[in-house]
This record gives sequence, structure tokens and C-alpha cells, in this order.
Amino acid sequence: MATIMLDELGFAYPGVLEPTLLPLSLEIKDGEAFALLGASGAGKTTLLNLLSGLLVPTTGRILFDGVDVSTQSGSQRNLAQVFQFPVLYESLCVADNLAFPLRARKATNGFSASDIQARVAKIAGELSIENLLKLKPKTLSLFEKQLVAIGRALMRPNVSVVLLDEPLTAVEPRTKWQLRQSLKRLQEELGVTMIYVTHDQTEALTFADRVAVMADGRILQTASPQQVYEHPAHEFVGFFIGSPGMNFVAIKSAGSEQMYAANGVDQSAQRIGFRPEWARLENVSAACTSPAVRWQGKVLHCQILGTQAGAPVGITTLASEAGELKVRGAINAIVGDEIEVVVDRFISFIDEEYCATHHAQSSTDYLANTADE
Amino acid sequence: MATNKPYDNRAWLGVLPVLLIVAFSAVIPLMTVVNYSVQDILDFNSRFYVGLDWYRETLQDPRFIDAFGRQVLFSFSVLAIEIPLGILVARGLPKSGVWTSILLILLAVPLLIPWNVVGTIWQIYARSDIGLLGVGLNELGLAFNYTSNPTHAWLTLIAMDVWHWTSLVALLSFAGLTSVPPAYYQAAELDGASKWQVFRYVEMPRLGGVLVIAVLLRLMDSFMIYTEPFVLTGGGPGNATTFLSQYLATMAVGQFDLGPAAAFSVIYFLFILLFCWIFYNSVMSDDNEAQHHD
Repeated sequence: MATIMLDELGFAYPGVLEPTLLPLSLEIKDGEAFALLGASGAGKTTLLNLLSGLLVPTTGRILFDGVDVSTQSGSQRNLAQVFQFPVLYESLCVADNLAFPLRARKATNGFSASDIQARVAKIAGELSIENLLKLKPKTLSLFEKQLVAIGRALMRPNVSVVLLDEPLTAVEPRTKWQLRQSLKRLQEELGVTMIYVTHDQTEALTFADRVAVMADGRILQTASPQQVYEHPAHEFVGFFIGSPGMNFVAIKSAGSEQMYAANGVDQSAQRIGFRPEWARLENVSAACTSPAVRWQGKVLHCQILGTQAGAPVGITTLASEAGELKVRGAINAIVGDEIEVVVDRFISFIDEEYCATHHAQSSTDYLANTADE
Repeated sequence: MATNKPYDNRAWLGVLPVLLIVAFSAVIPLMTVVNYSVQDILDFNSRFYVGLDWYRETLQDPRFIDAFGRQVLFSFSVLAIEIPLGILVARGLPKSGVWTSILLILLAVPLLIPWNVVGTIWQIYARSDIGLLGVGLNELGLAFNYTSNPTHAWLTLIAMDVWHWTSLVALLSFAGLTSVPPAYYQAAELDGASKWQVFRYVEMPRLGGVLVIAVLLRLMDSFMIYTEPFVLTGGGPGNATTFLSQYLATMAVGQFDLGPAAAFSVIYFLFILLFCWIFYNSVMSDDNEAQHHD
């Protein structure tokens, strides 16, 4: 287990002008569950390959516990990896597959046969695969195979880091959550540093202590799942995380300057963003002069996701003066209704980057405030 | 409606073309040979049924037994060289790039040369008076002459077969190796596997299937080898390189002993079938054991 430091790490494929990975610095703590989240092409696989030693960085360094490993091979770095599909030694039984990393390094790590057997029993016990130990991989289901592959990655007690490259891709949806839970539990119990690479926000947000959201070869934000959700550092983070993602409204295009200024929005902010559940739907009020952040719109469609206290809840999509907006909550309108979107909370962005969080004043607050003046 | 499927025996007519082709290309010729093998044919009008006499005679014929021994020795020698060498060549090939295509084409060249031409090439190449190899070896002080020395004749034949057929094993192995996903190599690297372990546990399991095909093809082909030794050594010196097919050809075409030659052919055919069957089953039973653990 090791603390991993990336120091101005960058990578460009030879002959390609645009670097695939812009220089980035990052520290992953010993025993941390870390996730790299991004759409395909964001550079997360490049970063993973740099970590695993498959690629050599063009700039910067990778440090494992303070030791520069940038030019070391994957086996020298003593790390393990779980791949998108289960990678097992097909001619070996499950027990031998698990023992393989320890046996291959027997000469250097000094493990005796009984040590190895004990470790196999321990890991198999953790994953509840004791009954599979004598089987050959081809008799296993995809789910069981991936469990064994995860087990093999965890065999070395001194492994510096376990890299997980979208390990649930091949597993069928029904067993996905099961595998995810096993992974999380093992990570906590064994205290292994894990880096989980995925494009699936649910996987990243449920697995990791900290998430790094990547786009276009950059890390846009590194924070706890809650932070990433509630305080996206970049518009892309707000858009990419959440289902559906944030609504964005250009300040110039909709609403008066006064409306934003009343909520304390910085003058240089170009856009505001809000989560679908940070807004409400209200009937169009007769007096439309209230300066709270609100727009009129027409319901385009309603997606019912369930009921709460007997009333339907879900996502309402509207065409408003501020563009298409999505609102999550009680569905109290039907398609074609003229309705008002009232935003209780929003974030302002300057040059796509986080500026501030604003709690919109309700119209009564506003009236109360003006009365005081 | 699943219960009301039309049922019509005329569907059997659909397999008729295949039956006819197989009958005329394989079954009828084979049966003709079987028919000859139990008769003594003096001329077209006088033939006598002799039962299994020709079989008994063939199996006791010392020339047959010698040729059979040579045949087995030859087949196993070339297999023992070509299979490992082919795998080695395949592993040495780059996985992708311009060189891969160029090398693959170069490898395929020996396979495209007609067999009698291969024999002629080596017949001239190894000659001790004008051949590059023969003269070269003699210049180095080795008294090499494949026309008079049986060992030299054997070595030349084996060298020729290895030159001719290693490419096939290499190409098949290469196809097998390309089916190994890169992640397997990476996983082995991260596990700290040695080069031998990578070969043994990552590549060999994937090569299994193609190697079975390669061994079967080479076993059958080398067991039936005729043209190349016929052109290269003519079976000599003496009978040193006379293999089964050449002995058979002498018997059937040279001496027109149709009955014994037919019995010989049937025995020959059964031996090849037997070897392939034994090999295939021994390889496949390993696999089945693995599956029966469930």
C-alpha cells in the first residue's frame, strides 16, 4: 500500500500535437478509495496506463511513497490491476490463479507454500468463493470470474495500489451491485489503495472516498462524491454528474439583471446552473414582477419515476424563456400547461468555473427586504 | 404453430447432392480399393478371391515393416522440429505494423511452391558438385554427399521438410497468438510472471486449438509424403529413404500388383486414421476432464 503522488504528470502520444493528458498533480492517500470518472476520450485510460507502467510519461513524475517510479515497469511498481473483462489463467484452477502472483514472486517475497495457501484461503473467504477453488475458469460465470480476478489483484498483502479499469462492464446488471459491494467492503477491510476508473457516475460516487472528474485530458475537480455533486467546480462536472445533469441558463439570455443582482450573483458571472431538484413548479402568478429566479415555461413532457404519498413524482421537462429545463419533484402539471419554474438554489459560474452558491430569495423575502429599506 | 410443423420426407432429397459428391469422391474409390485388396487380379478377366491373404502378406513383408519404421521416424522427427520451431518463429513475429505483413508473406512463400519444385530446389541446392549447400559444406571440410550417405540423405530430407512446412505451423501459431488479448500479457506482467510463465500460462492455453490442427495436418502430410523424397533422393541411397507411399507406388504402378497394393493402401489409410484418432483423443480428453468438475 502506498501514497501515490502525481507531479505535473502529462502525456502526449508521439506525433500527436494535442497532448492526451495535460500536466496534472494529484495525491492519492494510502488506503484511499479513489475514482477517476469521465466520458470516453477524457484521458482516464491514459492516466491508468501511466499508473500501470504501460505508458511512460512525457512530462512530470509518478511517485509511490516518495519514490519516483515513472520509468519503472508495472511489475517493479508492485501494483495489481482488474480489467474490463475477467483476465484469468485459463489452464489453472481458481486456487492456482489466486496463488499465481505470490508464486511468481516467490524468489523475492519469501512466501512459503503454506503462507500462499493461507492467503488463498483468506482472500477466497473474503470473497466467498471457497467453493470455486478447484474449478477451472471456463466453468465459471462472468460474475464469478471477475470475483476471482479481483481476488487475484488483492493477493499480495504489500501491493502498492489496485487499479480497477471499469471492472463491472462485463458483469450483468443484476449482479453489478453485488460485486460493487464486495469491492467496497474489501477495500475497507484490507485498507488497500484502490483507483477505480469508470464512466459510470453511480459506480464512482458509491465506491470512492474521493472522485476526480476528468474531461479533455484534465482533472476538473477532485473532491468527495457529495462535494462533486453539490459544488461542481466546473460546468462540465455539474452537467456530467447527476441524472439528469444540471440545468444551465445564460444570464444574458433570460431574466433581468436585477433578478440576479438581488440574489448576489457576481457581475462577471455568465451562467447559472441548478440541479433539477433545486427547483419547484408553481402556477403562473398573476403578478409576474417578483425578482426571485423564476421563469415561465410550457411543459414538454413528464417522466414519472414513482410516487410519494400517493402523488406522482418524477422529472418534468419544460420549454421556457431560459431554454429547456428539467425539474425533479412532484408532478403537478400535464403536457402543454403554462407553468412557472421557481429556483430555490443555484450556482453561478464564471468562465465555466464555480463562482458561488446562491439561495434564491422567495418573493415574500424580497418584499420584506424592500419594505425595510 | 409449433405443433403443426409441416412434415415432408422429400426434405431428404436436400442432402442428395452431398451424398453423391461424397460417394464419388471418397466412398466408391475407397470401396474399389477394398474390393481389389481381397482379390488376386491376374488380368482384367481372371481374378480370384483370396480373403485376407494380401493383408497378412503385407504385414509380414520386411520391406513394408522397414518402410513403416522409416515413415514413423521421419514423421516424428519433422514434427519434433517443426512444431517448436514454428511456435518460436510465431512468437518472434511483431504483433502489428508493416513488418508483420512483409514477414507473413515471406513465411507463406515456401507453402506456395509446388511440391515437386521444392524437391528439385533441394535436389540441386544440396548437390555436392554444383549445389550451394552441398559445395559449401564440402568447402567447410565436411564430406557431404546425400546421394551416397544415408544419414546425409535423411538430414537433407528433414531440412527440406522443415524449410517447407515450418511456415505453416508458424502461421497457425501466429493466428493463435493474436487471439490473446493484450490485457492478458499486462496482467501477467503485473503479476510478476517470467517469460516462461507467460508462454506456459498465457500463450499455450490459447495456442492449444491451433496446435492440435497443426500437429494433425503435419502428421498426416508427413506420413503420406511422396513427391519431395521421390524427386530428391528417389528413395535412396539403397532403400534408406524409401517411405510407405513410395513403396506403394512402386508396387501399384511399377509392378502392377493391384491386390497387394490395395491391401497396403487400406492398411496405410487405417494407420493414419489411428494415429490421428489417438492424438486427437489424448489431447481432447485433457480438456474434458477439466469440464467435468462441475
